[in-house]
Amino acid sequence: MTITLILVCVALLALVLLLSLAKGQASSPKVLENPREHIRSVDVEAFRNLMDPDEKEFLRTRLRPAEFRKIQRERLRAAADYVSCAAGNAAVLLRLGEAARRSPDPATVAAADKLVDNAIRLRFYAFQALARLYVGMLLPGVRVSPVRIAESYEQMTRLVVLLGCLQYPTRGVSAALLAD
Amino acid sequence: MIPILYYYLWVAPHVLLGGVLFLMVRRQVHRQFPMFFLYATWEISQFAVLFAIHLSNFHFGAGYQRAYLVGLALSTAIRFEVIYELFRHFFHRYPALTGPGRFLFRGTTVLLLVIAVGLAISAPGSAADQISHATTYSSLKATTFALDRAVTILQCGLLMSLFVFSRYFALSWRSNAFGIALGLGAFASVELATSAMRLYFSSNTFNTFFDFSNMATYHFCVLVWMFYLLAPERKPHYALQPLPEDDLEIWNRELQRLIQQ
Repeated sequence: MTITLILVCVALLALVLLLSLAKGQASSPKVLENPREHIRSVDVEAFRNLMDPDEKEFLRTRLRPAEFRKIQRERLRAAADYVSCAAGNAAVLLRLGEAARRSPDPATVAAADKLVDNAIRLRFYAFQALARLYVGMLLPGVRVSPVRIAESYEQMTRLVVLLGCLQYPTRGVSAALLAD
Repeated sequence: MIPILYYYLWVAPHVLLGGVLFLMVRRQVHRQFPMFFLYATWEISQFAVLFAIHLSNFHFGAGYQRAYLVGLALSTAIRFEVIYELFRHFFHRYPALTGPGRFLFRGTTVLLLVIAVGLAISAPGSAADQISHATTYSSLKATTFALDRAVTILQCGLLMSLFVFSRYFALSWRSNAFGIALGLGAFASVELATSAMRLYFSSNTFNTFFDFSNMATYHFCVLVWMFYLLAPERKPHYALQPLPEDDLEIWNRELQRLIQQ
């Protein structure tokens, strides 16, 4: 009977999820109306610094074990925030890239395809990196090095700039993307 | 009143499904989703055969039951292909997803299979027991329900993982694909609940209620498929907004300084 109840609850939750998705699909995504508001700045260097193994070793040699663990947890928490932020930006950029795919200009479409690919990769790496960072928070001695995230994020940022330049050559590098 | 409602819920969705097929061909969607096209065609054919048997004998005899079970098995198999087709649809649109997507599809299938088999074995009057004593119609029915539950766990789980997957990766759905997945997902969810309850509430009254629930949900699903086929594909509307350059640089410097302290 317990299993039946669990399955009925799962089925109800699935229906609620479907309803919310159908509602979301029907409404226009707000992110795209004003992407600026949804993109937060992420400092790649700061993130690299947090993840630097030399820095970690330096702290380990200088601090008492209990203190080191506490600090390391804080550092990992901050790194996780950076990763989440980068992943959030990737989601916004992915949507922008998808819209740019409709452009009549083949160069813009190619840049948009690459942007979408990189955004998807970043979200995939972010998922793995967050898992590792949270494990690291539980066990601060474990080595975690999601440097690939930083590389992927940098690569994606370069693509956004390229896409902006292709679409709006007169507005310079900082022009944001996309018009209908 | 009940027979009229029963016949309506039996006939109407299949008539509407004919409309879905027509719309698919007219909009060239059948090339994008050949498995779903096959599924809809099979459902209509199965209905035609079962309805003809029913009319000729005017009762639900052994011939009808055999045809129903064969039809159900094939329909279930095609539905799995439709789900995989939806996954493939995403892999095709987003090549970067192929690796993680396939891993997710296989991983989820294996995990759900383990859960489904575990639950089938632990079900009251389990499938294995029923097969060994499969002499009566009721034991065959119980086995069918247990298998049905295992299958719906798999299908519902796969569809939900597809929705969660697309949500996490912020992927946009084409309205046709979303409609197919939404309809199948709603049907699989309701079937999961009813197939789980059927194993415990096996009286005729409950079975009639569960049959009506499934038929009404199927009717709803066909309407969903039709709606999403009729609705025009929405093109996202974006407005160009220049990024606040100064703000970004100031924040970057402040954050760097804060971290370097």
